[in-house]
Amino acid sequence: MSIRIKINQKEIQAEKGELLVEVARKEGFYIPTLCYLKGKGYPENPCGICVVEVRGEGIVRSCNYVIEKEIEVETETPQIKEIRRKILENLVANHYGDCKAPCHTPCPGGLNIQGYIGFIAKGDFRASHALIKERLPIPAVVGRVCPRFCEPVCRRALVDQPVAINNLKRFVADYCLEHGELPIELPPLKDKKVAVIGAGPAGISCAYFLRLKGYRVTIFDKEDEPGGLLRYGIPSFKLPREVLRKELESIFRMNIEFQGGKAWGRDFTLKELFEKGYEAIFIAIGARKERFFGFQGEEFAESGFEFLYNFNKGQLSLKKYEGKRVAILGCSYTAIELSRVLRRLGCSVTIYYPRSRMEVPVPQREVGYAEKEGVKFVYVTAPWILERLDSKYKLILVRTSLTEKKEIKPLPETAFEEEFDFVFKAWGEAPSDEFKTFGELEAKLETNAEGIIKVNPQTLETSLKGVFAGGDFAHGAKTVIQAVASGRKAAQAIAAYLEGEPIKRAPITVKYDFSRGKRAEEFDSNFLDLFVPEERAQLKEREPEKRIQDFEEVLIGLTEEEAIKEANRCLRCGCLGIHKCEFRELLIKEDVPVSRARKKIKYAIQKAHPLIEVDSNKCIACERCVRTCPYEAIFFRVVNKGKPTEYITFRFTERCVNCGACVDACPTGALTKNNLLVPYSRKEAKPVKSVCGYCGVGCNLTVWVKNATILEVTGRDLPPNYGYTCVKGRFGFEFYKSSERLTYPMIRTDRLKKFERVSWDTALEFVAENLLKIKEKYGPDSLGFLCSARCSNEENYLMQKIARGIFKTNNVDNPARV
Amino acid sequence: MRALEKGAKCLVADPRRIYFADKANLYLPLRPGSNVPLLNGMAYVIIKEEFYDKEFVERYVENFDSYRHYILSEWDLAKASRYTGLKPFLIEQAAYLYAQAKSALILWGLGVSEHRAGSYTAMAAANLATLCGFWGKPGCGAMPLRGQNNVQGACDMGGLPYVLPGYQSYLDPTVKLRFQEVWGEPIPDREGKTLPALLREALSGKVKALYAMGYDVAMSHGDIGSVWKALSNLEFFVVQDIFMPLSGKYAHAILPAACFFEKCGTFTNGERRVQLFEKAVSPPGEALPDWLILTKLSQKLGYNWNYQSPAEIAEEIGKVWPAWKGIIHSRLKEKGIQWPAPEPDHPGTSILFTSGFPKGKIHLAIAKHIPPFEEPSSQYPFILVTIRRLNHYNIGSMSRRSPSLNKLYPEPVIDMNPEDAKELGIYEGARVRVFNERGEVIFRVHLEERVPRGQLYADFHFENALTNLLVSPGLDDLMETPEYKVSVVAISLFR
Ligand code: SF4
Ligand code: SF4
Ligand code: SF4
Ligand code: FES
Repeated sequence: MSIRIKINQKEIQAEKGELLVEVARKEGFYIPTLCYLKGKGYPENPCGICVVEVRGEGIVRSCNYVIEKEIEVETETPQIKEIRRKILENLVANHYGDCKAPCHTPCPGGLNIQGYIGFIAKGDFRASHALIKERLPIPAVVGRVCPRFCEPVCRRALVDQPVAINNLKRFVADYCLEHGELPIELPPLKDKKVAVIGAGPAGISCAYFLRLKGYRVTIFDKEDEPGGLLRYGIPSFKLPREVLRKELESIFRMNIEFQGGKAWGRDFTLKELFEKGYEAIFIAIGARKERFFGFQGEEFAESGFEFLYNFNKGQLSLKKYEGKRVAILGCSYTAIELSRVLRRLGCSVTIYYPRSRMEVPVPQREVGYAEKEGVKFVYVTAPWILERLDSKYKLILVRTSLTEKKEIKPLPETAFEEEFDFVFKAWGEAPSDEFKTFGELEAKLETNAEGIIKVNPQTLETSLKGVFAGGDFAHGAKTVIQAVASGRKAAQAIAAYLEGEPIKRAPITVKYDFSRGKRAEEFDSNFLDLFVPEERAQLKEREPEKRIQDFEEVLIGLTEEEAIKEANRCLRCGCLGIHKCEFRELLIKEDVPVSRARKKIKYAIQKAHPLIEVDSNKCIACERCVRTCPYEAIFFRVVNKGKPTEYITFRFTERCVNCGACVDACPTGALTKNNLLVPYSRKEAKPVKSVCGYCGVGCNLTVWVKNATILEVTGRDLPPNYGYTCVKGRFGFEFYKSSERLTYPMIRTDRLKKFERVSWDTALEFVAENLLKIKEKYGPDSLGFLCSARCSNEENYLMQKIARGIFKTNNVDNPARV
Repeated sequence: MRALEKGAKCLVADPRRIYFADKANLYLPLRPGSNVPLLNGMAYVIIKEEFYDKEFVERYVENFDSYRHYILSEWDLAKASRYTGLKPFLIEQAAYLYAQAKSALILWGLGVSEHRAGSYTAMAAANLATLCGFWGKPGCGAMPLRGQNNVQGACDMGGLPYVLPGYQSYLDPTVKLRFQEVWGEPIPDREGKTLPALLREALSGKVKALYAMGYDVAMSHGDIGSVWKALSNLEFFVVQDIFMPLSGKYAHAILPAACFFEKCGTFTNGERRVQLFEKAVSPPGEALPDWLILTKLSQKLGYNWNYQSPAEIAEEIGKVWPAWKGIIHSRLKEKGIQWPAPEPDHPGTSILFTSGFPKGKIHLAIAKHIPPFEEPSSQYPFILVTIRRLNHYNIGSMSRRSPSLNKLYPEPVIDMNPEDAKELGIYEGARVRVFNERGEVIFRVHLEERVPRGQLYADFHFENALTNLLVSPGLDDLMETPEYKVSVVAISLFR
């Protein structure tokens, strides 16, 4: 029977006996629920979040309100909102977890670190690599040169030492360079063309992400080979040429054009690029202008930067450096790389740095490598006067102190004198503004007081429409990962510009991110006690005496076993239920921040179940798990629900058949699957409709795919299984990645011989020939064809068609009898 | 499970006290291999007490009198009780429970088919449904739960030696004509051979070549010792699979196939529901979907098949088998369709036989009881029953390679009654040798109250414990299904 009801003044038809929440939702009204499970009863302590106001009856729960008569309902009154907020605040106060891993925040590239480590822990190196490449096109490079913004905040440091995050990245990158990466699906090329100036990390990254969006990209660079700083600034013992070449090749293979030996300002101008049909331009030519210190005779010092470039291009005669005394002024990256190159050329090298060791602008690790190779470091010492003698230099140095403003103050009274065969300056580099003279458009590009090009920090657009700039060129000399991030940002902005759309930016949700604690002192040590100390994996370093004899790589990457072991040191801080967390979604929607969350662990994390992990610290006691389980296999009790003294008891009983239905029903990260180690959001994964391949029930499944990899399988609410599956449906999918899969055709003429790998053509010809021969010789009925209970209908049909239609025999059977 | 929540009654017949038995209203721990005596005994009660649906029988059954005579004269309760080892009142209760329901469904798994009397059991079950008029109504009928996911489809598609796709006869001239039109080729009308027959003839040298797609003959067939001999006797053997099967040892060509996550197509479940599965990921290396391999092969054989997708193949199937006309991939995106769906927009048929039966009348088959091929003896005092573990599947080529499942159940286990074990000095977790004249297999033993005395239950998921070596050479009388469920063996501690 139909009844007219009113919700927020709108007239609606409802059937008598329907639930109010269902009717309202059908009509598109927003009513939050947490414990409600359609058709599955109610928990002893309902959550109450679904309240609405029914005129004349007051506040009621809409999830169990049965419509019997005409009613008027309000869903968004201040009172209702207040009730919701209170309920959520109480849940927040009892919640202890990390929505996101702490290492995620400082990474400029925004990598899903916990995720790629999770894939490694499962031995799925290719998927790990694919996940990294979502945001970082050159992991083998960054895995070698990154200063590691993430590792200092790694929570594992509170247990023993941080996880070797960057070395793990390098491991998967190297693994994929050697064994091949997962194919990425590229969209077809559009007509729109973009020009990128500069083939360094920023330019390459921008081109890569534009190509992923389907744009045609050409990169111009004044050098013959791509790579920029990576090729010409970083020596091969740190980044082997072969690694760089292979990694860049994998990017250019995606149909990105490279035009080497084309210098901006010499061979083309911005105007010409626009005239050639490029609709947007990204400039990332790096920072090449050398800084100076300012002392008498500085102009006599040779440029360290130029030396490195020329050396890496192979344009120097190296003989003249053998056995020479060299001074390097400054302790920039250039200085360190230069010192190590010179050591390999047989020089004795001293680096003079006006500040203390703790203040060097490069990671301490880098100083350590150079020291081991015999580079001398002299700190708090600045050059004072440089004089050129016949074939030598006279360098007068002074000790320094710092002014109140922390500026360097030379102390002339400490002056001392040294003689060198070569003196290099290497104070670091800054972007130059010489481009202003390149052409009429170039002259219009605005710069700031320091002569650096001005860009909109959100979009990286310059003062010229359609011209963007990034990387060191726009931000000053920074790290490779920052250049990559800048290239990615530019790609997004350029795509938006080309399509005339606003830039999509993910909303900032930090205030809804639960955290178990940000600083070491506020951290609950009881949580850390759940983990056993385990030594951090170290890269093997070649002996310094040996390594300065050649230009081969100094650090040797992790082995597979080491990598898997190291990946398992990860504490998996970030919530592995975030993709299904309705609770968090609701906090965001209702704007309830989480600063009041509990900071102490209350329940030990249960790892006893072979497939499911239970963290009751994240449980909101909705009892959806209990009501979903078809086997009554969960013992659950909650006392004092919603109060600070709340206590939850959760236990699997021996009735549990490991089907995993409870995990999928749980609206938080309290229940998670052990085989899902990658935090993800459902929006970034592709849901694929599938049917279970194990038994004849034919359960409908949803397969969640990301990075060409199945993350997890959930039941689909359709007949015959209505969302349920057995353990094989949800957990039995992993076989497809087994290393034992057959991956190429093989044949042999004789059973005693070994199989030989052949092409499909050869294999199929071999099969066809032999079958036809036997048919000729013995007649059609000497052949038999077996269909499969594991293959599709279409495939079985073809098999019997081959038997009947081509070979003219009814000798067809299938394993129905097995 | 949902049905139980809604108050349905449930009756379980299994020698082992399976977990489901705890939920049942009545549990019948019958002796292995005595399904027909149980069902016929129930029929006896139903006829004797006149519980059957007289109106239905009158209208639809053609040979009720002869059937009635057979049951009443051959299957009195005492006999049924003797064969099954069940007390007569249990059989009576079962009959009441079944016959007095408004509707009832009989489900069976391989415990029914993998006996010598397997087909007779299916008939006996169908007879019961007919007696009580449980056909053509919701929640009624008799239905096998298939072991493998697309057995139904493989049979529907004509993966059988005696029928074409859609169970159509190659002797029927209209059918023949239709195939010839669609295929552009005449079809053969000599009878084909079942796999057991093919293997026998391979042994004798008449069959020279086999092509096995997704089917590990060497591992999954009963009495495998002689299967291996047959395979090594072949002149040419093609194996197309996702993993290297045991059969690979005997093969001349190995063709790597995509698994069901790596291609699209349809599977048909036990309810005739054709369901679409879509491609989730790409196949590894050079592996290809089976349909593409077969299409390419046809080209090498000089035929110009040019299927671009499984959807195209499905369309062709609808042309040779009218009940599949409505099975169009684009229609299956949301949910499956149960054949027959004889028109392109037909919604499918969820219940067969709502308006009469294909042949007009139902014939009640005389379901004979054939005792198992082997009887326990003093030398081999135990009955070995092969089972599937919930966590694994069939020969386990997929499940063993899924770490999560393997963790649950990492090695081959044999279940044994604790009393029996005590007598033989066998303890929980011990390694045992299980043997008969066909071979021996080593297992880890699990003592389990649910297992009746004198019986052993083992799986066949692992390559290192080839349970099937022990399996009886007995074959089902009509369909030649190997008798997986009853073989006699001896067991002893392994040292
Ligand atoms: S359960 Fe939800 S709210 Fe809690 S930590 Fe996980 S994602 Fe955050
Ligand atoms: S895994 Fe399945 S059986 Fe076990 S508790 Fe969860 S829902 Fe119940
Ligand atoms: S474990 Fe999950 S589903 Fe169960 S009560 Fe807690 S939050 Fe709810
Ligand atoms: S009480 Fe209604 S959703 Fe929880």
